[in-house]
Amino acid sequence: MQATLTIKLARVAIVIAIFALWEMLSRTGVVNPRLLPSASDTLATLGDLLQRSSVRTDLLVTATEVLAAFALAVPMGALIGFLIAENRYFADVAKPLLFFAFSIPKSIFLPMFILVFGVGFAQKVGFGFFSTIFIVIMSTTTAVESVKVEHLTVARSYGATRAQTAFRVYLPSMLPVLLEALRISMIFNLTGVILAEMYASRDGIGHQIATWGENFQMKQLLAGVVMVAAIAMTFNELIRWVETRCSHWRT
Amino acid sequence: MSAKTLRHLIVIGLLVLWELLPRTGVIPELFLPSLSSTLLAGWNEAAEYGHALAVTLYEVAVSMAFACGGGILLGAIVGSLPRPRLLIMPMVSSLYAVPLVILYPVFTVWLGIGSESKIAFASIYGFLPTMLATAAGIQTIDPQLLLAARSMGATLSQRLVRVIIPAAIPTVLSGLRIGGALVIVGVVVSEMLISSAGIGYLISRYRTILDSPHVFAGVLLVLFMAIAFNTAIRWVERKAAIWQTGTRAGQGADEVGSGAMQPAT
Amino acid sequence: MQPLANVTPLKPPPRAGAIEVRNVGQVFRTRSQDVVALEDVSLDIKPGRFVVLVGPSGCGKSTLLMMMAGLRAQTAGTITINGAPIPQPDPDRVGVVFQEASLFPWLTAEDNVEFPLALRGVAKPERRAKAQDALKLVGLEGFGKRHPHELSGGMKQRVSIARGLVQDPPVLLMDEPFAALDEQTRMTMGDELLRIWAATGKTVVFVTHSLTEAVYLADEVIVMSPRPGRIVDQLQVSLPRPRTYEMLSGDAFGALRDRIWRHIRKSA
Repeated sequence: MQATLTIKLARVAIVIAIFALWEMLSRTGVVNPRLLPSASDTLATLGDLLQRSSVRTDLLVTATEVLAAFALAVPMGALIGFLIAENRYFADVAKPLLFFAFSIPKSIFLPMFILVFGVGFAQKVGFGFFSTIFIVIMSTTTAVESVKVEHLTVARSYGATRAQTAFRVYLPSMLPVLLEALRISMIFNLTGVILAEMYASRDGIGHQIATWGENFQMKQLLAGVVMVAAIAMTFNELIRWVETRCSHWRT
Repeated sequence: MSAKTLRHLIVIGLLVLWELLPRTGVIPELFLPSLSSTLLAGWNEAAEYGHALAVTLYEVAVSMAFACGGGILLGAIVGSLPRPRLLIMPMVSSLYAVPLVILYPVFTVWLGIGSESKIAFASIYGFLPTMLATAAGIQTIDPQLLLAARSMGATLSQRLVRVIIPAAIPTVLSGLRIGGALVIVGVVVSEMLISSAGIGYLISRYRTILDSPHVFAGVLLVLFMAIAFNTAIRWVERKAAIWQTGTRAGQGADEVGSGAMQPAT
Repeated sequence: MQPLANVTPLKPPPRAGAIEVRNVGQVFRTRSQDVVALEDVSLDIKPGRFVVLVGPSGCGKSTLLMMMAGLRAQTAGTITINGAPIPQPDPDRVGVVFQEASLFPWLTAEDNVEFPLALRGVAKPERRAKAQDALKLVGLEGFGKRHPHELSGGMKQRVSIARGLVQDPPVLLMDEPFAALDEQTRMTMGDELLRIWAATGKTVVFVTHSLTEAVYLADEVIVMSPRPGRIVDQLQVSLPRPRTYEMLSGDAFGALRDRIWRHIRKSA
């Protein structure tokens, strides 16, 4: 316990040290403060930005897109993944194709989405969906395959019904893998939506960041980067926390 | 029908549909230009695409040297020392959740819109997974092997050269495969966003004038690049498959999450 | 491979290979407390003897072996091999055989056997010749080009033994070398090991969990108890050599095994 506390403190110290270094480099003029505004200035700007209604609207837009893409990709991907894992023949046919689709870079198809959907909500959600669904399919397949045959045999030998098997064997066995899949899908999803916003969009936080960059507004740009990073990391840690709470299922 | 035959039929079917659907007008050529018109567009502008490919390849090569060199070096250090590992690894995988593409505007402000900003961005994009994979690989080396080498009087450098490096090769290779794919994505995406050269730039330029066949020709070119790289590394991996047994199966790599290390968008 | 258990009951004259353990102790310091792994252990092993260390998990038998190999430093007492202390591994004096996992999977059997020679820069032809001799000794002639994953568990352990013997050290230390093998293979390997021992006259110190294996192989069985690890009994096994399968069911064998089991049950 003591050791983990030391490590946690050391991590906090590292983060503080990075911010301190950033502050110092900028204050002492080692780097041009116009190219790298100090940490304190950036954080102050971040506070300002969060007060602005336009930035809040952008965040809301991005959040809506992310959630919409997620809400579409996860159930659909899970369903396809489940079907593939449950049917041997289907799996043999589809798996190499999916592996292939999974391993090719998705971002280069972004222009297609603009050609088809134009610039707007549908294009961003569509691309977020497209970036996410393959990982959901793959993870679901892995999750189903992680169910131990022995456990199914035991359940069957005690006369479990289909529903009982589903809820008492499949679900608890799959839960840890599914949670991990959810976390990773969210990373993919967020990256997809933000990229789509940066590439061509009229609103959303990704669009704002790109605009600040084009206009050389370094303070706002860095504040935006810190903001998105903080949101992404918080969400990530949240799911991780849930994962560890459920970790007694593993093994 | 065997699964393989059906799979091949599906692929052929998709290619045929790609040709037929736009031709018959079921899908507008703007959304999906037919296979033949895409290839023709690429062929007609071969010189332009060739030039763009050279720019992109140059950026990819330099970024890969940075990303993979740095990732393998740092991963080896972090993976072999338990204290830094405990300290840093969770922070690094937390950083992995951040959509790194938001850093690209920062690099364009700092380095301009030439190759430098692409190289900086793609290097960072490919660095993390390479480092995570290498650290995991070093970590999973069977301690018995190191103990055995020590019992035979191996010095520290002999243990490094004769045990640690060969035992870590498979994991480093898979790190290279994933990191390298991300480097390609990083370069092309940054070219698509803001730039003045490269395949990504061509794709974006043709997109703004709604020239679908030329957009698709560029997309295809990048796809081939990614697939060629992937195939090449997989081939090396298969050659080195014998090494696979040098690590305790699966352990550690699990921690990073195999999915998390696949090319993101 | 010929399991010739009954070869040469006449050993070559024992050479150097005496092990002296004097009042050895080992304390692990953890953050919260100190754990005494070994306390006041003394042993005298004559050259050419086959000595087996047995005891429940945590009695420090493997720790003691690692200290004899120079792989770990004791916190008290002295260990000498051939009359000199062993502060670090010395392959000229001591060869070590580990559990199954310790062969390098990327090397062939003969490259694995040559490994310790390669470390010291021995020239290739000499290396190859010595490795071939060692492989022949363990009954693996002709298997040199195979990788570990192409060998059975028993064959892998033969390669490990060949690797331990390739520099011809007077002492061979074996840390549960047959623990991962199935019962039949284990018996065969025991006979093989006795044959090799008889042919080479090495001093062998062998760690095991198996009481039967201990009595079957040993000249002398050292029984250890855990927390703190210390020696609770030393049994001379006076069963004639070569040992045979029939001895396992004899009264003398049973009495020895029972005596060890009573010690272990008491301390467990």
